[in-house]
Amino acid sequence: MRYTGLILIAGVVLAAVLVAGCSTEPAATETPATLTVGVVASMTGPASTTGKDMWQSAQLAADEINAKGGVFVKSLGKNMTVRLVQGDDESTREGGQKAVTRMITDDRVDVLVGGFSSAVVTAHQSIVAENGVPYIITGASSPTITRRTDINTSMMFHHCPTTDDYGEKTTLFVDETVRPAVNEKFGFPPGRPLRLAVVYQDSPYGKGVLSAVNETITTHGLDIELVASEAFKMGETDFRTILTSVKAKKPDVIYPAAFLNEQVPMMTQARRDVGLDTIFLAVECNDDPDYYKGLGQYGDSSVIESRFSPYAIPKGPIAAKVTAYRNGYSARFGGFPGMMGASTYEGVYVAVAAAEKAGSTARAELASALSTIAVPEMVESMEGGVISFANPFRESRSNLYMEQLRWDAGLQELRPVIVWPAELMESPFTLPAWYRPGSG
Amino acid sequence: MTLDPGTLLQILFWGLYAGCIYILLATGVNLIFGVMKTVNFAHGELLMIGAYVTWSLFVLTGVNPYLLLVATVPVLLALGVAVERLAFRPVLGSNKLNEIFLSIGLIYLFQNGAALLWGDDYQSLRSPFEAISVPIADFRLPLDYLIIIGVTVAVLVGLQLLLRRTRLGLALRATSQNRKAAMLSGIDVERMDMLAFGLGAALAGAAGTLWAVSGQVFDPYMGSVPAIKAFAIVILGGLGSIPGAILGGLFYGLAESTATYTLGGAWKDAISFVLLIIVLVIRPTGLFGERGE
Repeated sequence: MRYTGLILIAGVVLAAVLVAGCSTEPAATETPATLTVGVVASMTGPASTTGKDMWQSAQLAADEINAKGGVFVKSLGKNMTVRLVQGDDESTREGGQKAVTRMITDDRVDVLVGGFSSAVVTAHQSIVAENGVPYIITGASSPTITRRTDINTSMMFHHCPTTDDYGEKTTLFVDETVRPAVNEKFGFPPGRPLRLAVVYQDSPYGKGVLSAVNETITTHGLDIELVASEAFKMGETDFRTILTSVKAKKPDVIYPAAFLNEQVPMMTQARRDVGLDTIFLAVECNDDPDYYKGLGQYGDSSVIESRFSPYAIPKGPIAAKVTAYRNGYSARFGGFPGMMGASTYEGVYVAVAAAEKAGSTARAELASALSTIAVPEMVESMEGGVISFANPFRESRSNLYMEQLRWDAGLQELRPVIVWPAELMESPFTLPAWYRPGSG
Repeated sequence: MTLDPGTLLQILFWGLYAGCIYILLATGVNLIFGVMKTVNFAHGELLMIGAYVTWSLFVLTGVNPYLLLVATVPVLLALGVAVERLAFRPVLGSNKLNEIFLSIGLIYLFQNGAALLWGDDYQSLRSPFEAISVPIADFRLPLDYLIIIGVTVAVLVGLQLLLRRTRLGLALRATSQNRKAAMLSGIDVERMDMLAFGLGAALAGAAGTLWAVSGQVFDPYMGSVPAIKAFAIVILGGLGSIPGAILGGLFYGLAESTATYTLGGAWKDAISFVLLIIVLVIRPTGLFGERGE
């Protein structure tokens, strides 16, 4: 019995040494088995509808990639799985800064994907730049994102049309399609300028849209008169007075640069309360199932610029991939994905393609690979059929189209039809019976 | 800038509508402050919960959301009583900082609780009267806004009757005027605290119902801005003064609306605080501060 205690102690010590040895030795030679992708998304706060769409789409992409064996990294000579880390920016600048700092320093992500709201992304870009992390930005549309010169943006890649891109396309659509339709229907002279009003979020995004509209009118010499440009604060929910002010300027068309939680009450209040019987346009970030549901009949005949729609699939080579993505998303999460989800889904695939191309997960090598990458288009139609950042500002180039929303009495919900450009058109743009030019 | 009478009337109406929401919120803040001498920074979250309670009941029952005020107000009253009893009472009188941090903590508790219960996504509900409008001058005012104004007036009249014509109201006013004297005359001041907090929360709940039914969206994080404005209105009208809160709320709503029209939407929040600063410089106690206190 005297020795029993000693034997027990020796046994415990031996076991401890063996366990410690077992647990530490392999770790010393272990190589990272994952490509860690940080997803910056607004999981809470006003933009959480969009944020969840982005996160879930990223999850879907990662699962698809991992189901196919992951990503082959040449330098390691083996396949790695994709591991996602969620960074909730809380729909605020400060939240975004906290999220990216944590992902970079604690989670040691190899690459960042996502980022919604130009104001939020702009606020955390400097942290990303200082730490030299490649960042595929899929949801912030201010052109300054990769063009700003106050920080080093060379490792940032913009996979999202800028306000310049869609502001220009939307204004061209108004000039080519809406203006002639208004003039013809109401017997106005063909040269009558269309009266356009812009109601914009007081942020880089909103100001970017306003600037693009002005620039397009001037550059292309369009017969469009900007009769009102009214700003509102981000997150605003009461637009009645602003819309009354706009109504007094008698616009033919109103172009809001707003997020989903702003656009829906704005259009509802315009039609219901203020009596603005006019055509509303919308920026692509609103192309989300919640938009169609939230607007109800007040969205009838409104127009939204898009590059991915939950309910419209443009003709062309990507139709099958769009259907597969929508069905995959629907099967896993219920409902359909929105546009920000689509670009984030692609963003994860692009990050993986960069790791394969670089043959490494080193941040600098990933960034280098991204700058010359050419990934075949997936669920969004791209110029040249590829996702590429091979231009001075590392911006991918999407093919954009316009959809008109129409009330489906059977579904009791709005559904879109593509009305522009001609090569993708499903149905021509129409002015509804209740429309009044110079509504006021 | 030309302003036709129809447009002017519309602008004033939107201001009046916004003022109604602010009045209900600010009156609740003032009632709580008047009796308990504490500021509930989470008051905007009670408005948010009121909106969600109405929305939930509407989704479950399909009953006219205005009628749901009858259910929402008691739910919020009960919540207010519970918050006072469980959270404020233990720290009341200990240290003002404790009370401040407690109510700031409640903001996060309510926001996260609402997000957990109802989700982060914004919600909205449709009034059954949204297609009905009333011609006023040369514009058609949706019936909903007249109902909202009417409901606000009815709630305020009810509150005045409670405070002026009942023994309970007398006890509340006595506690508000001199807590020690009220205690010495046999009034259960802790019960008055509970009642004041409950009534304040109920008023915020009513504001939440009207917010939702007017076509504004709401999410778990929407309470902060209305709350800040309610505090500004309370300071503008005079701490503890209910007439001050009513006039301050109206003044704020109209100022916001006219500033938005004349200066632009970016000025909507700023102009109210500019006015507040001006009023405080001229009259540091607020419009009704001395009388109310």
